Amino acid sequence: MASINDESSFEDPAEALRLIERERANLERELTPDPRWMYWPWGLAWLIGSGLLFLRYGPDGRVLADVPAWLPPTVQAGSVIIAGIITGVVGFRSGRQVAGPTSRQAAMYGFAWSISFTALSVIFARLSQVPPEETLGILWGGGMVALVGALYMAGAAVWNDRDMFVLGAWISGVNVIGVLLGPGWHALVIAVAGGGGLLVAGLVGWLRWR
Amino acid sequence: MSDETLPDLDPVIHAQARLRVVSALSQLNEPDRIAFPRLQEILRMTAGNLSVHLRKLEDAGYVEVTKTHRGRTPATLVRLTRRGRFAFEEYVTALRSLLPPGGTP
Repeated sequence: MASINDESSFEDPAEALRLIERERANLERELTPDPRWMYWPWGLAWLIGSGLLFLRYGPDGRVLADVPAWLPPTVQAGSVIIAGIITGVVGFRSGRQVAGPTSRQAAMYGFAWSISFTALSVIFARLSQVPPEETLGILWGGGMVALVGALYMAGAAVWNDRDMFVLGAWISGVNVIGVLLGPGWHALVIAVAGGGGLLVAGLVGWLRWR
Repeated sequence: MSDETLPDLDPVIHAQARLRVVSALSQLNEPDRIAFPRLQEILRMTAGNLSVHLRKLEDAGYVEVTKTHRGRTPATLVRLTRRGRFAFEEYVTALRSLLPPGGTP
């Protein structure tokens, strides 16, 4: 195929059609971020962060792993920030040097994540003295995860991406179940079902993307 | 040239390098533009080569090349025009009609 003569054309229309498909798929792939980098950092953040919260602040006040009280929330916050930076950079890189409505859409979607997360963090931090301590996990965890579910469903609407909608709906659903089960259980549900869902989404997305 | 075997195909598009350029650009949404170096990287073509073919496509009105500034660095953005998109669709339709019936879908 890689002919030196650029003006060369084709004897076979099927060959030309294959070339067209290859180039179209290649450009699409280049401009789409690797789903593994978009989902797996979040999946791991939830698995580790919420998993640790569950072990330290288990159901009915049980302590399954006697780590310092400050450690799980710190790991949780740290891993979420790292995941946010990774997806931000990877998403930005894949859209670089492309201008127009599509990249504006992507940029606005990216900003929607950081702005709404910041807003919710401020609200929850302000409320932290109000509810009884054992329900704080539900407030922060439940609220943030609900926001993630909503943003994925909104992103699915922007890009008409069915898989992303399923992910958002799944996260929203398991979040509600976790909240209803109560403190401790919520962290376990988010770690396993939420984090697991994100890891699966990264795998499915990658299999379609590569 | 294979004009005898494949008649009535748009000669502007019907050359391997330009077909690759037009195919890639057709995957962008119509108002979107891509920077020249990024397109070059994606197509794995040399800058000189890509310029030559873009100029031919521009002369035919199939491609719009805009020079702009991003901060202080000049940037060249490329986009397939409506006319180019139409010509590409016609070209693909013509190719399909040349396929033997029952051939590759």
